[in-house]
Amino acid sequence: MSTIPTRTPRRTPSRTPTRRLEPGRVGDPATRHDGVPKVTGEFAYSSDLHAAGMLWGKTVRSPHAHARVVEIDTSEARRLPGVHAVLTHEDVPGQKNYGLEFADQPVLASDRVRYFGEAVALVAAEEPEQARRAAAAVRVVYEPLEPVTEMERALEQEPLHPDRPTMSHGYRDDPRPNVVRTMVIRHGDPEAEGEVSVAGVYEIGIQDQAFLGPESGLAVPDGEGGVDVYVATQWLHVDRDQVAPCLGLPPEMVRIHLSGVGGAFGGREDLSMQIHGALLALRTGRPVKIVYNRQESFVGHIHRHPARIWCEHRATRAGKLVNVRIRILLDGGAYASSSTAVTSNAASFALGPYAVENALIESTCVYTNNPPCGAMRGFGAVQTCFAGEAQLDKLATKLGIDPVELRLLNALAPGDRLPTGQQIEGSLPVAEVIRCAAALPLPQAESLPREAIRLPGGAGNTTRGEGVQRGIGFAVGFKNICYSEGFDDSTAARVILRADGSAEINCAAAEVGQGVSDVILQVARTELGTDDVVLAPPETASVASAGSASASRMTWMAAGAVQLACRAALEERKRAGGDEVDVERIYRHARTTPLDPETGQITGDRAHVAFAVAAMRVVVEVDVELGLTRVVWIGTAQDVGKAVNPLAVAGQIEGGTAQGLGLALMEEIQTRDGLITNASFTDYLIPTTLDMPPVESVLVEDPEPGAPYGAKGVGEPPTVVSTAAIVSALRDATGRELARVPVRPDDIVGL
Amino acid sequence: MQLVRPSSVEEAVAALRGGAVALGGGTDLVPLLRDRIVEAETLVELHAAVPRGVRRCTPTSTSPSPSSARFWIGAGTPLAVLEAEPEIPTTLREACRLAASPQLRAMGTIGGNLLQATRCWYWRLKFPCWLHGGETCDAKEGQHREHAIFGNERCASAHPSDPAAALLALGARIRTDRRDLPLAELYRLPTDDDRSMTTLEPGELILELELPAAESSIYVKAMDRQRWAFALVGVAAARVGGETRIALAGVAPVPWLVSSPEELEQATPLPGTAYKLEIARALVQRALAQL
Repeated sequence: MSTIPTRTPRRTPSRTPTRRLEPGRVGDPATRHDGVPKVTGEFAYSSDLHAAGMLWGKTVRSPHAHARVVEIDTSEARRLPGVHAVLTHEDVPGQKNYGLEFADQPVLASDRVRYFGEAVALVAAEEPEQARRAAAAVRVVYEPLEPVTEMERALEQEPLHPDRPTMSHGYRDDPRPNVVRTMVIRHGDPEAEGEVSVAGVYEIGIQDQAFLGPESGLAVPDGEGGVDVYVATQWLHVDRDQVAPCLGLPPEMVRIHLSGVGGAFGGREDLSMQIHGALLALRTGRPVKIVYNRQESFVGHIHRHPARIWCEHRATRAGKLVNVRIRILLDGGAYASSSTAVTSNAASFALGPYAVENALIESTCVYTNNPPCGAMRGFGAVQTCFAGEAQLDKLATKLGIDPVELRLLNALAPGDRLPTGQQIEGSLPVAEVIRCAAALPLPQAESLPREAIRLPGGAGNTTRGEGVQRGIGFAVGFKNICYSEGFDDSTAARVILRADGSAEINCAAAEVGQGVSDVILQVARTELGTDDVVLAPPETASVASAGSASASRMTWMAAGAVQLACRAALEERKRAGGDEVDVERIYRHARTTPLDPETGQITGDRAHVAFAVAAMRVVVEVDVELGLTRVVWIGTAQDVGKAVNPLAVAGQIEGGTAQGLGLALMEEIQTRDGLITNASFTDYLIPTTLDMPPVESVLVEDPEPGAPYGAKGVGEPPTVVSTAAIVSALRDATGRELARVPVRPDDIVGL
Repeated sequence: MQLVRPSSVEEAVAALRGGAVALGGGTDLVPLLRDRIVEAETLVELHAAVPRGVRRCTPTSTSPSPSSARFWIGAGTPLAVLEAEPEIPTTLREACRLAASPQLRAMGTIGGNLLQATRCWYWRLKFPCWLHGGETCDAKEGQHREHAIFGNERCASAHPSDPAAALLALGARIRTDRRDLPLAELYRLPTDDDRSMTTLEPGELILELELPAAESSIYVKAMDRQRWAFALVGVAAARVGGETRIALAGVAPVPWLVSSPEELEQATPLPGTAYKLEIARALVQRALAQL
C-alpha cells in the first residue's frame, strides 16, 4: 500500500494553444517536441520515406476468407515492364511462418489461406502502378473452402490449425477444435448464492485501430547480405526477432529503425510489411518501399476481438457482491497474434475493480476465418468492462441503490485480493477515483432553441428539441499496467554523457504518438540536471530492447531505464574524472509468474505488475424518435500514479475516450463470410471533433511504489471505461437494455 | 488511360461517343475507377465544356409572384458554390452543405452528384449481385442497415445523394445535350432487362438544371455521426406555388418522391431497415412542421 500521502486530485491545466516549446522536467506540462511539425504537415511519417533507386513493393492478397491454394503462376507478372521480382512462399529462405507469440502465420501462404487479405505473393517494380499491375497479373488458383465464421460453431468445426500451435504453452488443455486458449478462474466458492442476482448477455463488435497512417516502410539492403528496415512499429526488437529467422539471417544482420508512426493503438504490434519488404530488397539488391492503401490497411492488421459475454452477478440485498459468474467468448480470427494474452486479460479484469469473494470466470478465444484479432488499446478489458459495468447498473436498479454508491460499496482497495488470488500491493485508489469522478459537477441542461450542432443529430438539423431525452451514465474501468503472467520484459537505455555536460539518450521505445519520447527527455533532463539532452533515433543496433509500446507500460519502463542509465552515467563520469562516458542499463519490473492452468490462481506473488483505474461520468442527449445521439459532456477521474507530463496525460485521456466513444456509437468492422465489407473511412466511421464532447479530467496522483517517480501508464484506462460509461448514459436516456456495441440509431428506434 | 479535355459541349459529346466516361469533379468516379468497378480507356474531362454557375431567371411581367422566379444552375457547378448561394431555395443549399466533406464539395459538381453511385458494400466489393447482373441482391440476405425501404424488390441499394432529393422536392428540370426533362424522369428503378438507375442514353450529358424559387423549403438529414456521413434518411420538403412536395434520400435505389406523409406506409423495409421507416415518419413530420 502506498505510503506517500499526497493524494490531492489535480485538475489538468487549461489547454491554451501554444507554440512555445518547453524543455520540461518530470511533472511539467511539457509541450511535445513533435507536436508542431505534426500539425503543420512537416513531420515525416513512414509513408514519406524515400531512397535513391528504390522500388515499390506490392502484396498479392487472398480474395477468399478460406481456400486451398491450388497453384500460383507468376510467369506473366514477371514479364511485365518494370518488374524486378515476384516472390512466393518458395522464395522465403528461412522460417516459413512467423508470429508475435506463436509462429502460426505463413510469411506467404503456401497451401491454404485463412483470412480475407492474407498475403500470397509479393512483387517489386520501378513504379507503384507497375507493381500494382504485376500483383494483379499473379495468377493464383484457389479452391474455396467453407469459412468458419461463427465463434460458437468454430468449437465444433474442422480445425483451421490442426497442429494446435498455442497448446502446450502452460495453458489449460482444451481438446475442442479451434481453441486458441481457454482459461478458467475459480475463486472462493463459485456456487455461492446471493440474495439477488442479475444476468445478461453482451456483445462487442469488431473495432479497428483505424490509425490514419497506413502500414508502410522502406527496406534497404546493406550490400553485405543484411538489411535495414525503416518502419512504423511498436516494438523494434521483436520485429527484428521475427524478421531475421524468416530471412535466414542472424538478428544482427537485420536492423529495424523506427520511422514516423501515424497511430498504432496495438495495430502495429504484429508485423505488416517488414519481412515482405526485406525479402524484396534482398532479392533485388535495391531499396524497396511498401505503402498499404486504405483497404489494405483495414485487412492488413489485427483488430479488437469481438466478444460475446454471459454474466450473472449475485449480491446481498445491501448490494455487496457475493459471486460473479462470467463466460467470455472471443473471436481471434485466423491467427493467434496476442489472442492468448487477450483471453487472459479479459478474464483477469472481468470483475472490474471490485472485491468479490467468489467467482467463476471462463474465457475462451477461438480461431475462425474472420479478420485476425490481437492487440488493441484496452486489450480484453474493454470488452469485459462493457459487460460488467452494465451488470452493475442493472444490479443498482434492481436494488434501488445509487449506482455510484453500489460501486463504492464494492470498491477494491490495496490489501484486497483479486480473483486470481493476487494481493493488491501497490497503489489502487478505486474509491477515491470513483468519488472524484462522481463529484464533478454536471453541466446545466442547455436551453432551447440551440444551434443544430448542439443537439442530437448534429449538423443534420433533425430536431429543435423534439424527442430529446437527457441521460446520465457512470462507469469504472480497470486494467493492468505492464506485461504479465511470466511474460516479463525489460527496457534498455543508453546514455552518452559528454565532458561538456550534454547528453545523448538511446532508447528503442517506440514513439507512437503517446509522447514517450518527451517522457524520456523529461526524465533525462531531470536526472542529469541539464536541458542539453538529445534523443537519438530509435533503432535496434544501438541499444537493447525497450519492449513494446503497449500495455500502458512504455512510460513506466522507459522512465525506469532512462533514470537508471542517467544515474549510472553520472556515477561513471565522476569516476572517469569528468570524461565522456557511455553506459547502458536495463530496467525490469517486478517479476510475474504464470497463472495455474486449472484454477487461474497465481503461482507466485503476482501475475500482474500493477493496476490502474478510471471512472467516468457522462451526459448524453438522445433523440428517442430518431435514435440519434449526442454526447454532451464527459467528466473523468483517473489513477495515474504520477503525471510525468500532465498535458500529455490529458491528451491521452481525451484520445482514449474518443476511441471508446467510437466503439460505443459507430465503429464496427462489418463482415460477410469473413470478408470485410466496410474497409474505408467512408464506410467505417470514426468519431470526428464534432462527435467529441469536452472532457474534464481529474488526475488522481497516488504514486505507485515500484514505479519510477510513482508513474503508472495512462493510455488504456480511458478507452476501457468510456465505452461502458457512454452506453450507461444511453440506457438512462432511452430505457433500453443496449447490450451490444456499437449502439446505433437502429438499436434505439428499432423493435 | 487517355484524358480528353474538350472545351465545348459539342466536343464533349463527340468525345463521349464510343464508350468514353465523363469526368466531372471525380469525387465518385475516381474511387470507382480505382476499385475497377468502372472501366474506362478514355476519360472526358468536362470542366471547360459543361456550364457552371447560378443565375436567377427574371420572372415574366405577367407572373410577378415570387414563386414564379426560377434559377438556372450549370451542371458543372461545384456543391461548394451552391451551399454558399444565398438566393437558391434553402432545401438545395442545405442539402449541398450537408453532403460529403468540404474538400469533396469543392470538387464535386451538381451534375455528377445526381449520378452518384450507391454506397452498397456488396456492389462496391463486386459481389455478383443483382445490380452487377447476378441473380440475387446480397444485401437482402446479409447486413443491410444502410439499405432501402422503398423500391427494393430487385435491388436494395440506397441512393446517397442529398441534393437530388432537394431538387426532386423542388420539381427541378434538367437539360441534357439532347432533351429537356423533369428530374423525376432522370431516375428509374432498375428492371431485370435493364439494370440502370437512370434514363440517360450512352454518352448523354447533363448540362444544366432549372428550378423554381420556393415559398418555403427545408432539408434535414439523419446520419450515423454528427456530420460527414451519408444519409440514413434525408428529407427534403418544399412548398412551391402552394403545393408541398417531399423527397427522401438514402431510402431507395433512386431519390424517392413521396406525395404525402401517408405514402410512407407503403414502404417495404427489410428486417434491418425497419428503423429507417421510423426515422422517415418522424423526420417528415418535423420537416413539414417547419415549412
